[in-house]
Amino acid sequence: MESHEHDQDHDEQHIHPEPTSFIRKYIFSMDHKVIAKQFIWLGLSFLFLGGTMAMMIRWQLANPGVPFPIIGKWVFAGSNGIVSPAAYTSLFTMHGTIMIFFAITPIMIGGYGNFCIPLMIGARDMVFPTLNMLSFWAQFTSSCVLVASFFVPMGAAAAGWTSYATLSTQLGTPGWGQTMWVIAIFLAGMSTIMGAVNYITTVIRLRAPGMTWFKMPLTVWGLWLTAILNALFVPVLGSAAILLFLDRTFGTHFFLAGAMVKGGGDPLLYQHLFWIFGHPEVYILILPAWGIISDILSFFARKPAYSYKVTALAMVAICVLSAVVYGHHMFVTSMSPLLGESFMVLTMIISVPACVLFLNWLHTIWQGRLRLTAPMLFSLGLVFVFGLGGLTGIYLADIPTDLYLHDTYFVVGHFHLTMAAAVFLGAFASIYFWFPKMFGRQFNHTWAKVHFWLSFIPINMVFCGMLVIGNAGMQRRLYNPNEYELFRHLHPLNVFISYSAFALYFGQIPFIINFFYSVFFGKKAEQNPWEVTTLEWTHASSPPVHHNYDVIPTVLNGPHEFSNPLVTDKDWLGQCEPLPSAAVVAEKKPAG
Amino acid sequence: MKRSRFKLATHAAYVSAFLTLIAASRVWADPPTTWGRPFDASLDGNKIDWLFKFTTIAIGILFVIMAAILIWATVMQRDTGGRKAQYEHGIGRKHLLLTALVSSIIFFGVDGTLLYSSFVDLTETFWKWPTAKDHPVEVEVYAQQWVWNFRLAGPDGKFNTPDDVVTINDLHLPVNTPVFVKIKSKDVIHSFYLPNMRIKQDAFPGSITQLWFEPTKPGQYVVGCAQHCGVSHYKMHGTMTVESQQEYERWLHDESTAAKRRFDQADSDAHWGWDWEI
Ligand code: HEM
Ligand SMILES: [Cu+2]
Ligand SMILES: [Cu+2]
Repeated sequence: MESHEHDQDHDEQHIHPEPTSFIRKYIFSMDHKVIAKQFIWLGLSFLFLGGTMAMMIRWQLANPGVPFPIIGKWVFAGSNGIVSPAAYTSLFTMHGTIMIFFAITPIMIGGYGNFCIPLMIGARDMVFPTLNMLSFWAQFTSSCVLVASFFVPMGAAAAGWTSYATLSTQLGTPGWGQTMWVIAIFLAGMSTIMGAVNYITTVIRLRAPGMTWFKMPLTVWGLWLTAILNALFVPVLGSAAILLFLDRTFGTHFFLAGAMVKGGGDPLLYQHLFWIFGHPEVYILILPAWGIISDILSFFARKPAYSYKVTALAMVAICVLSAVVYGHHMFVTSMSPLLGESFMVLTMIISVPACVLFLNWLHTIWQGRLRLTAPMLFSLGLVFVFGLGGLTGIYLADIPTDLYLHDTYFVVGHFHLTMAAAVFLGAFASIYFWFPKMFGRQFNHTWAKVHFWLSFIPINMVFCGMLVIGNAGMQRRLYNPNEYELFRHLHPLNVFISYSAFALYFGQIPFIINFFYSVFFGKKAEQNPWEVTTLEWTHASSPPVHHNYDVIPTVLNGPHEFSNPLVTDKDWLGQCEPLPSAAVVAEKKPAG
Repeated sequence: MKRSRFKLATHAAYVSAFLTLIAASRVWADPPTTWGRPFDASLDGNKIDWLFKFTTIAIGILFVIMAAILIWATVMQRDTGGRKAQYEHGIGRKHLLLTALVSSIIFFGVDGTLLYSSFVDLTETFWKWPTAKDHPVEVEVYAQQWVWNFRLAGPDGKFNTPDDVVTINDLHLPVNTPVFVKIKSKDVIHSFYLPNMRIKQDAFPGSITQLWFEPTKPGQYVVGCAQHCGVSHYKMHGTMTVESQQEYERWLHDESTAAKRRFDQADSDAHWGWDWEI
C-alpha cells in the first residue's frame, strides 16, 4: 500500500512558470484549463451551427417547399431559399456529424475532460501537456476541413452521419464534400485518441496522495472510462475511414459490390467496422455526463452518492458490454439468426447495469435536501430524458419490434433522448456547475433556471413527438414525408415537432446572453460557492492558478461526504478535511 | 446594459413560450385520425403488435415510477433549511440486495419475457422460412436508385426466363398465401419496408437478403424504402396490391403473356433475375 503510493508521479510534478506571451498563453497553450476553454468555445460554436441546421431540417418537414426565413436566401441561394432535396441530405448528414464529433465530443471530453481530470484528482496538469495541445489543434484542423467542405462544388457530405458504403463511395456521392468528411473524421479521431491517451495516463499516474480509485469523483470515473473506450474504438473508425478514403480516391473496392462494379468488396464490412466503433461511441458521449450528474445529484441533494462503488462498477460493466452489442444496429441485414439472437440477448443484458445506475441516482436524491440550482435542475432533467430514452430502447433491442421500427423516426427520437437531449442537458449542467471555477465569475442564476425550463419542456416535446411519428411508421431521413400517402395525416404532428424544436432553439438565447455577459461582467465568484467537497472547489482558487495547487493536497475522504452527523458546523466535509472526531482520535494515537 | 440584456432574454422567453403554445395548439386544433401504427394486414403482424403492447405497459409502469420519484423528491424534499439530509452511503448488504432484487425483477420480468417471446416469434415465425410444401409466392426484389423492381417467376416457376413478370413499383400478391421475398440491390443500400406487414429488410449490392410474410387482407399497401439511398430516397416507394387468388392469377397470366411477347434476349440489363429454389 505504502510503496504503491510512492509509485505515483504526483510528487515529481514541477511547477512550471506561467507563459507570458499571448500566443503561448492563449493560443498554443499547454495548460489544461486553457485547452479546456478552447475546446468548449469550439464545441459551443458547432453546437450553434448544428442546432441551426436542425432547424432547417425541421423547417422543411413542417413547411415543405417554403423558403427558409431570413437567412434562407443566402444559404439556399441556388433554390430561392427553399431547402432542396440535395441540401436536405447534406443537412442531416452534417447535423449528425457536427453534433457528435464537433459539438458534444469537444465540449464534454475535450472541454470538461481537460478541465476536470487534473483538478479533481489533484494534479498540476495533464501528464503530456504537448500532446494535449496537439489534440486541440488536430480537432481545430479537422473543423476547418469540415467547414470548408460546405463550399466545394457539389456540396458537403450527404450519405448520413453513418456514411454507409456504397452510398458514401463515388458511386453514391461523387465530389469532394464526402472525401473531406472522411478526412475530417480521421483528424477528429486522431484528436480524440491523443486526448484519450493523455486522460488514461493522467488518471493512473497523477492522482494526489490518498486519492485512491474509489475516492475519485464519479466525474473522473466517467471521463476515464470514456477515454478508454475512445482509445480502443476510435481506431476502428479510423480504419473504416482509411478504407473508405482509398475506395473514394484510389479506386479500391473494399466496400463496393453489385452490378455497378466488377470485383468483390462488401458494403457490410463497412457497417461492422462503423458500429464496432459506433455503439461504444454512444456510451463515449454519455459516460462523462453520467459521471458528472452522479456527482452533481449528490452535491445538491446534500447526500452521499448512493452505492458509489456500485455506480462506478456499473459504468465499468457498461463499457465492457458496449463492445459486444453493436450488432443491434444491423438486425435487418439478414445476419445469421444465431448472431442476431446473441446480440439481442447481450443488448438486453446492458439494461441491468443501466438499471442499477438509475436506482442509484434515484436513491441518491431520495431523502436528500435538494438545492434546485441550475446544475441540479439540468441533472434531474438528464435523469428524466435519459430514462425515457433508455426505456424506449427496449423496443429497438427486440428483433421483432425492430423489424418494424428500424430506420424510422422512432430511432431518431430514441437516440436523441439518450445521447442528444441527455448529453445536451448534461453539458449545460457542467457548464453552469463549473462556470464559477472556470471563469472566476458567477452567472445569473434566475436566467439559468429559466433556460432550464425553456430547454427541458420543448426538448421532451420534440423527441417524444418523434417517437410517436416513428411508431406511426414514418422513416427517418425523408425530405418530404407527404410524398407517402400513408404519412400525410401525420403532418400536424410534424408541425408540432418542428415548432417545439424552434422553441427549443430560441430558448437558448437566455443562455447565450447570460453566458457572455457573465464571462466578462459577472460577479466575482468565491472559491467554493456550491459548498461541495471535491479538490477543485476546496483547494483551488476561482479561477485556479496556472499550476492549480501550490501544495498538492492529501486526500482523506470520498467525494460525497454530505450531511455526516459527526460534522456539526456545516453539512459537508471536503475530500482533504479530517473528520472532527477522527482528528481527535488521531491525536490520541501514538505517532508512527 | 443590464436592463437591455434582461429585455432580450425576456423576449426570448416569450418567443419560446409562444412557439411552444403554437406547437401544442396545432395538435389540439387538428386532431388526427390515428397516430398509431398503420393498419396491420398480415398474418403475423399481431405478434409484433403484442410485443409492442407488452413493452409499452412494462416501460410505462417503470416510467411512471421513475417520474413519480423524481418529481416527489424535487418538490417535497427541497432544502428549506433546518434538517440535514439522510447520511446514507447505500453500501450495506441490505442496500445492495435491494438494488440486485429490483434489477433482477426488471430484467427477468420485462427483458426476460421479451426475450422469450422474441425467440419464439423468430424461430417459429419470422425466421422460419417457407418451404416447398407451404407453396409460397416467390418474389425477387431488385432495388435501385430510386425504384423497386419486382420479379415473379411466371407459370414455369423459374426465375430469369422469358415468362417472368417484371414490374416497377407495383407488386401484386394473392391474399392468404405466404410470400417469400429475396432482395438485392443494384447500386447502394436500400431497405424494403412494408409498414402494413410490420416488416423490413435491407437490400445490398452484392448479396441477397430475405424476408417472408403473409398478407391476409386484400387492399393496396405501400412499399417504402427505409434506408437513406440518395437525394430521392423520399420518392422511392411503390404499391403492393393484395388481391384474391383468382384476380391475382388472371393478372399474372396477362402480364406473363405480355412479357413473353416483349422478351428481348439482347437486353441484358433486363435480366437481373437469378435462379433459386426453396
Ligand atoms: C437539441 C436539438 C436537436 C434537434 C432539434 C435535432 C433534430 C434532428 C433532426 C430533425 C434530425 C433529422 C432526422 C431525420 O430526418 O432523419 C436529426 C438527426 C440527427 N441528430 Fe439531431 N437534433 C438535435 C440535437 C442533436 C445532438 C445534440 C446530437 C448529438 C449527440 C444529434 C445527433 C443527431 C444524429 C446523429 C442524427 C442523424 C443524422 C443522420 O440521419 O445521418 N442531434 N436531428
Ligand atoms: Cu432506396
Ligand atoms: Cu431509400
